[in-house]
Amino acid sequence: MINFEEELKKFHPSLEIEDAETAIYNQNLTDMADLLVSLVKEDKEEEKEKE
Amino acid sequence: MICYNCGANLTHNDFCTNCGADVARYKKIIGLSNLYYNEGLEKAVIRDLSGAIVCLRQCLKMNKNHVDARNLLGLIYFEMGEYVAALSEWVISKNLRPNKNIADDYIGIIQNNPASLDSIGQAVKKYNLALNYCYQGSLDLAVIQLKKVINLNPRFVQAHQLLALLFIQSEQWEDAKRELMVCKRIDINNTVTLRYLKEVRAVLDIDDNSGFGFKTRKKAAETVTYKLHNETIIEPVGRKDNKTLSTLINVFIGVAIGIAVAYFMILPARISSVRGSFDESLKVANEQLDAKTASIAELEQQLKTADSKNEKLSSQLELYIGEDGTMTAMDNLLNAVSVYINDPSDVTEVAQSLDEIPVDALDQASEEFLSVYQLLLSRVGGEVALEYYESGMKYYQSEQYESAIGDLSKAYSYDNTNADALYNLGNAYRKYGDEVNAVDTYQAVIDNFPGTETATRAQQYINELNGE
Repeated sequence: MINFEEELKKFHPSLEIEDAETAIYNQNLTDMADLLVSLVKEDKEEEKEKE
Repeated sequence: MICYNCGANLTHNDFCTNCGADVARYKKIIGLSNLYYNEGLEKAVIRDLSGAIVCLRQCLKMNKNHVDARNLLGLIYFEMGEYVAALSEWVISKNLRPNKNIADDYIGIIQNNPASLDSIGQAVKKYNLALNYCYQGSLDLAVIQLKKVINLNPRFVQAHQLLALLFIQSEQWEDAKRELMVCKRIDINNTVTLRYLKEVRAVLDIDDNSGFGFKTRKKAAETVTYKLHNETIIEPVGRKDNKTLSTLINVFIGVAIGIAVAYFMILPARISSVRGSFDESLKVANEQLDAKTASIAELEQQLKTADSKNEKLSSQLELYIGEDGTMTAMDNLLNAVSVYINDPSDVTEVAQSLDEIPVDALDQASEEFLSVYQLLLSRVGGEVALEYYESGMKYYQSEQYESAIGDLSKAYSYDNTNADALYNLGNAYRKYGDEVNAVDTYQAVIDNFPGTETATRAQQYINELNGE
């Protein structure tokens, strides 16, 4: 049985055109490749510190 | 595929041949990203748009620079009516690859149509307003707003879903089903749509089983449904057309229509025509009647004139013709002439004959008749007047006033110089009681014999009779 109140909570306001620019800038574009690169860099830095 | 460290093209080795960086995991990530993209593309092809969105998002989480995945994601958002999200994806895509990017075309299509852009903005605002109404509990207003949203943006899946939810809440199951079917046509595997649809179908099945649905199902069993091109055709099963009956009904309807046309269109014109000709005939008949009436009136007038002439002539004829059919006036004159020739002294007999001539006959008599009459009258008039005066006075003295009036009148008529005869005639009238004639006679005495003693006495009697 559908609970109207609960279902209603799942609907969110749609982005308006004026807010599109803000939404684009605020979008988190970090992907797995970025994470991998940052991990590799951290590893390299740690190795350098040990040396 | 390029090296994340130096940007050189990678080979089949797990390290970069240019900088020596380890690219084994990086290659796996990129490969996984491509896998998600392919899966998303496959789902998009079969219109599992929500499933495609999930895959493409996963793809972009692996590799944010996957331009094709981003463009496809924007296209799917566009298809689902979420234009702002689509634009966002395409803008990012364009930033990642400024040249030779199909996102450029997509953005251009929207931006080059200001009306469409305005419509998109209005639809989004109304959707958000409707959602706000829902939060506030004004579900009727929300339904109205959502219908406007769908009118502006018919592919807005979320709006259809929210409207379906509101219909479910108000137990308008058929309406909800209709909205959900629209959602399903756009996105066949949307979990929200399918969940709502399952709920709606469950309720409708219960309704079907409780009676109404039984009829529906029975009706469905009595029909054959098939698709021809894009149209669904439903035909009744086992229903034979009774062509004879339908032909008869059609003929009957045609005859009825014909009669109706004749009654309402032809007949009034015909009646009007007949009425016009009848009016014309009536007008001619009236004119003839008027002419005949005028001629009748003229004839009546002529008849009246003829009658009056006839009466006049008859009266004149009566003057000439006596009761015994003889011409009285002429006979009396001839009789008087005969008496006078035989015995000129017998004035009494001559006078009697002259008296019998009617006074009216004298007015219309010929000159010869009048000259003979005047001649006799001059010959015997003085004596006759004297005789009548004497006899009249005898009657007057013996108080026989009626006879006296007759004789004295004749005496004055034969001799109009006899003032005494006229005066005593007035006295006879007075004593007889005829005061009107008495006054008239006295007045004649005064007029004809002015300044005489008889005129003075006549005036005294007039004064006496008038009570002065």
